[in-house]
Amino acid sequence: MELGLLAAGIGAGIIAIGAGIGIGMIGKGATESIARQPEASGDIRGAMILTAAFIEGVALIGAIVCLLLVVL
Amino acid sequence: MMYSFRSAVFAVSAFLILSPSFLMASNSTSGDEEEKIIDVMGKVSDHDYLEVLGTKIYLPRILLVDGQLYAYSTTDSAVESGEFVMEEGSLVRADGMPVSLDLSITSHLMYVWFGLILTLLVTLWAAARYKKGTGAVTEPKGAGQNIFEIVFIFVRDDIAKEYIPADKYKKYVAYLFAVFVSISFMNLFGLLPWGVSATADLTVTATLATITFLITQFSGSKDHWRHVFAFPGVHPLVRIILTPVEILGLFTKPFALAIRLFANMLSGKIMIISILGLIFIFTDLFGTALGLTTSVFAVGLTALLYILKAFIALLQAYIFTLLSGVFIGMAAEEHEHEHDTAVAADTATVHI
Repeated sequence: MELGLLAAGIGAGIIAIGAGIGIGMIGKGATESIARQPEASGDIRGAMILTAAFIEGVALIGAIVCLLLVVL
Repeated sequence: MMYSFRSAVFAVSAFLILSPSFLMASNSTSGDEEEKIIDVMGKVSDHDYLEVLGTKIYLPRILLVDGQLYAYSTTDSAVESGEFVMEEGSLVRADGMPVSLDLSITSHLMYVWFGLILTLLVTLWAAARYKKGTGAVTEPKGAGQNIFEIVFIFVRDDIAKEYIPADKYKKYVAYLFAVFVSISFMNLFGLLPWGVSATADLTVTATLATITFLITQFSGSKDHWRHVFAFPGVHPLVRIILTPVEILGLFTKPFALAIRLFANMLSGKIMIISILGLIFIFTDLFGTALGLTTSVFAVGLTALLYILKAFIALLQAYIFTLLSGVFIGMAAEEHEHEHDTAVAADTATVHI
């Protein structure tokens, strides 16, 4: 049980790193392209949210597995 | 700045170490270690009652055992009848027969219904106004109709028209709008006092994702199925690998859709309960003084989290609707076949 909690904690940390890098790169790309082309900011924002949602989905699947380690 | 921060940290740690209540508390907590101070999962799980103004309204239990239907007005009356006993928080048959189907009405189900009924009322109210001519021939009147129109045009223009082919999008506007509004209501119910956000339950989000999945498959064009079973422009041997991946891709899309909404709503709830729970944990471990100090930070942080949750409630409704639209659009799309290989390279990405 204690090892399970440890695994869940480590897993949640790794998920945060991965999702953070991914979403950070999207934010970088979006802000850079908005700065270069401010008139396209609406489209870029839509694409940014869509891509971030895909990354978030993968990260949350991992988070749910960690939660199950704690709860079950 | 740096110096004052360091002295503040030092003061807090000195307070922690020297606090007499800390020493007192450490003596008393050694006894009952199994007792949980905060039951986080109990707060976020489904219940057999509805809480209104602090009182519990118990909901009916309907159970199907071996082809026979048992219905009771509350959980207690089910236990009193002698047919069922409570075991680890769930009803089981007294004679050990397995319960084949639990159709009980739970708090999450009630809140799904509330969300759907509210959506129905809002749309019927707006439809009646448009039939009368307000908004259709004249300008829309009042804040309610204006907000309705903004949301509707947002879903139609920014989601449906954008991602679904122009000749087909009209069919799906109704579904996308209904999904957006009802998920928004279900998410926002969780912010009310005693409210429950029904979308923090995997069964609810899985049902919604299943509806999207079925609509996606039934609106799939010939090209959609061709891309799944016989990907154009690749070597037949590559298709042996590609076809299972594509079939898997059909199911991972709604799966990720369900998990995303569920986990987002659940994590918001767990975070708020955990941060508020810190007050009780610190009071239990270090005494009342630190508990009071923690409560100042915890309540402030919770207030900020609530604003974030209200934003996330709408954002997740938008993302669910957006991805539903994208998936339906991807399936309904028809490609031109003059340049098969270029199209194949273009659409080879598998979305998760």
